[in-house]
Amino acid sequence: MITKRYLILFLFFTLSSNSYGDNIKNEKLYNKIITELRCMVCQNQNIAESEAPLAVDLRNKVKTMITNGHDERYIKQYMADRYSDFILYDPPFRIQNLLLWIGPFLFLLILTMLLFRKNLSK
Amino acid sequence: MSNKLSLLAFTIFILLLYVGLDNNSRLVHSPLIDKKLPEFNLPILQSESQAKISTFPDDTFLLNVWASWCIECIREHQVLNLVVNDEKVRLIGINYKDSEADAVGWLNIYGNPYEYNIFDKDGELGIDLGVYGVPETFLVDKNKVIRAKYIGVISEDIYYNEILPTIEKIKDDY
Repeated sequence: MITKRYLILFLFFTLSSNSYGDNIKNEKLYNKIITELRCMVCQNQNIAESEAPLAVDLRNKVKTMITNGHDERYIKQYMADRYSDFILYDPPFRIQNLLLWIGPFLFLLILTMLLFRKNLSK
Repeated sequence: MSNKLSLLAFTIFILLLYVGLDNNSRLVHSPLIDKKLPEFNLPILQSESQAKISTFPDDTFLLNVWASWCIECIREHQVLNLVVNDEKVRLIGINYKDSEADAVGWLNIYGNPYEYNIFDKDGELGIDLGVYGVPETFLVDKNKVIRAKYIGVISEDIYYNEILPTIEKIKDDY
């Protein structure tokens, strides 16, 4: 009888700690994802910061999807499929946004070359 | 030589800024174009029946997202009331994140050009359609494929010079 009680107590703690651990993991993932999604209404905020109705809806959507066991990639793809890559603060590397990714480095390279030439000719 | 190069760099930079002037980041190109409408099951405003993808007409139609809290929708509504008289396009509404009483009252005041209105109270269909600013309008062909999306108010100019020609072109494809 006593052992049965201990067993129940033991199960209670192990099971609850497990779900607690899951919750923390999910919450971290939730907080990560909502800071990496753009609020389409107020474009210089992410949906974590924004209180626009759509941002609230999308936060809830992210929460539901995490609870349903979807991973970060799935959720981000889900958002991009509907709102385009523009919703992602970290857009994937594509031909269309090649300039976005290599532009700054190209600019730096050209500028350095120009400055070197100028110095050499002096 | 170096002078010429600097001038070139400067010109390119100015050109970039100039192009940026025209680049309206508010108008996001929808990834849903040429994709089929998403599945949904929502009530129809002022009716007992449900709307599904199968309740849409077998014809080209406009799917207009509106709300009673959307001020710009009033302006657009006048255009919509006008263009349905031509009977060149069928119009179905999505009442987005609204209360039923407000929506019905709004239609009573401003007129109802819609064949019916899908009542998307929680904006779930809105999310599936990537709606982020009301009004938005989708041009859908008879296969329920989204052919174009118009963000913001549809003016008479946009309707007659962009939407109507596109509809004619889609009909030629059939």
